[in-house]
Amino acid sequence: MAVIRNRKAVAAGFTLTAVVAATMLAGCTTGSSSSAACEKTTDISWLGTIKVEIQDQFTAAIDEYNATNTDCVNVSIIESPQDQPFLQTVTPMYEAGKAPTIMTALQEIPDLADKVMDWTGQPLAELAADGTLDVANIDGKQAGIPITAEAFGLLYNKAVLDAAGVDPDAIATRSDLEDAFAAVADSGVAPVHFSGLWWSLGAHFTNIYHTDAADTVEGRLAILDELKAGDKDLLSDPVFTNWLDTFDLLKANSIDTATIADTDYDLGVENLAVGDAGFWFMGNWAEPNLLTTTPDGDFGIMPVPASDKAGDYGNDSISVGVPFYAMIDAEQATQEQQDAAVKVLTWFLTTPEGQAFWSGPVEDGGMNFIPVYDGFTVQPSTFMAQKIAEYIAAGKTLQWVNSAYPSGLQEVYGASAQKYYDGVIDRATFAAELEAAWVQ
Amino acid sequence: MEFNVSMRSRRQEVQRFAVFALIPLAIFALVLVVPFVRGVYFTFTDWDGFDVTKVVGFDNYAAVFQDQPFWSSLTLTLAYVGASLVLVNVVAFGLALLVTIPLRGVGALRTTFFIPNLIGGVILGLIWQFLFGQALPVLAESSGIPIFQDNWLLDTNTAFWAMVIVTVWQMSGYMMIIYVTALMSIEPELLEASLIDGTNALQTLVYMKLPLMAQAFTISLFLTMRNAFMGYDLNLALTGGNPYRTTELISMHVFKEAFGFGNFASGQTQAVIMFVVISIAAITQVIVSKRFEIER
Repeated sequence: MAVIRNRKAVAAGFTLTAVVAATMLAGCTTGSSSSAACEKTTDISWLGTIKVEIQDQFTAAIDEYNATNTDCVNVSIIESPQDQPFLQTVTPMYEAGKAPTIMTALQEIPDLADKVMDWTGQPLAELAADGTLDVANIDGKQAGIPITAEAFGLLYNKAVLDAAGVDPDAIATRSDLEDAFAAVADSGVAPVHFSGLWWSLGAHFTNIYHTDAADTVEGRLAILDELKAGDKDLLSDPVFTNWLDTFDLLKANSIDTATIADTDYDLGVENLAVGDAGFWFMGNWAEPNLLTTTPDGDFGIMPVPASDKAGDYGNDSISVGVPFYAMIDAEQATQEQQDAAVKVLTWFLTTPEGQAFWSGPVEDGGMNFIPVYDGFTVQPSTFMAQKIAEYIAAGKTLQWVNSAYPSGLQEVYGASAQKYYDGVIDRATFAAELEAAWVQ
Repeated sequence: MEFNVSMRSRRQEVQRFAVFALIPLAIFALVLVVPFVRGVYFTFTDWDGFDVTKVVGFDNYAAVFQDQPFWSSLTLTLAYVGASLVLVNVVAFGLALLVTIPLRGVGALRTTFFIPNLIGGVILGLIWQFLFGQALPVLAESSGIPIFQDNWLLDTNTAFWAMVIVTVWQMSGYMMIIYVTALMSIEPELLEASLIDGTNALQTLVYMKLPLMAQAFTISLFLTMRNAFMGYDLNLALTGGNPYRTTELISMHVFKEAFGFGNFASGQTQAVIMFVVISIAAITQVIVSKRFEIER
């Protein structure tokens, strides 16, 4: 969650007006009433600034639900500050006996697992797509259900690649990528924008190594266990050194020696959107930003090839994962409130009206979430969303091993990766710092 | 009758005491003493931010003493305290001497020097982020002065000094006011006497003014030290602990340990250790500087 929060903080410049508007909207709508037929209304709260970019849509959706639902439920939104850690927001609320009924988080799920409702056997959990529940399953308890899927990889500007004669689908190895970079450079455009943002490097880019490191979930988690035990020698792992080679390739071809100042995210959007760079290592959350800058552009996504052998695991797939899970408090919420919370999510995920808010286009008032539940009739329609759907349909997806990083670890990873990115440390020190991050 | 009168006055006294002392005392206890005691208790438990399941004795302390990042953050904080302690007070005292010269317009100068103190740490951080990141590099380029050419906030050492510079800029105006007050409260007849005895300006400063205003130094040094030790807002807004998390002062480190990493018990333990360190430093400082004070 920290990743997402900070990403949004970074993108805040873009959406400041939206936030202000959302705050005003929220102010107007408090105390909206439920259907008149109810004898008793159950009040629940949703700790939700799910994503700051779509806060208006989220607020409108909740208003619509409050006004039309026949469940006798009234939902109030508790806006969560974007730039503070999730645990900072939620621990005082629990302490004060005012825990939110619905919460969304990722890496903090283990911290809350003993306080939330078990989704096992619930219809919504059964509808969730295969594999999307695993991360939120803590020792057999299904602590959360997925909100959406997000993907990261190399984003590209289709117009730039077309002009340079590069076919992204044909890039299968690091050498292919190097050739593609050269072709883009020859066409007079910088090959790639490689952001030095700590969360992009620390959570997403390091995931490329961790997810390529083994072709089974067990194998990947075993490596994390080895790291925890201090037994893993990263430099002797060819996947790791190959990954470093790709790291170097991106660095060497980056549009400029990007600074590690946080303004970088906007710069990445700008460079890719206007076609100053051909590629950008980022994820599909950037698509609305890109389309805001260049409304008629086509922005796709492709894998990060981390080795020079086409068949190596991971080279043909993009990292797809659930950025946050919905949890329902079971410690302070009554059974009635828990049931009500399930009803709200059921409305969003199973009814046409709810789905239109959930996955409809942003400009039509939807939240543009990629659906991860059976029975969705509404599908996002943008170029990148279609690309991601193709990868998912072909089974070419990689696990977000970063979801399994303990709270805060990605920040330590990010700091080390920034040092390597800036050329302050060499490979040996980088590897040693990553190893040390686990045993501390 | 007399009995009644004394009863009434006693009751009045108690009432007065209640109004003036009991309420503040109760608030003090509620918002400081109770949380503090609770906080110390948490350091002996496995508190996870939500509940305590068992008491673990000194395990948290043992773990913190082996925690390398904690000690490097504490070392960084000590360096920051040292640097800002010296620089803030030297600059503040210099400014105080300057604005006590009887000239036209010194009032305006005093106000000007004090203004940075009225700007909150977060806004101050943003202003200086712009200055270090954009304004100064451009100026450096056009004027050919290389020192500010690179963004100071992107390198560990310069980022540290950037924090010190902004601290000095913010704090010295406030300390200046304390020094000005002290300078002006020195009895003129004493200075006159020393002039008659033939002291020059430097001798007046060193042998007359400094000893007579030692109290001001005690206060200023204490305030500067305390602020530097507990600095958080400026740290957050200016560097955010970057580059590479190497400029995290102790407050930010403690905060991240608890809320970022979810290690509430060890974060709380670090906070208690920080409290002890600050207490020792502050008490030592006050005892030492009291020795220089003169009873009048």
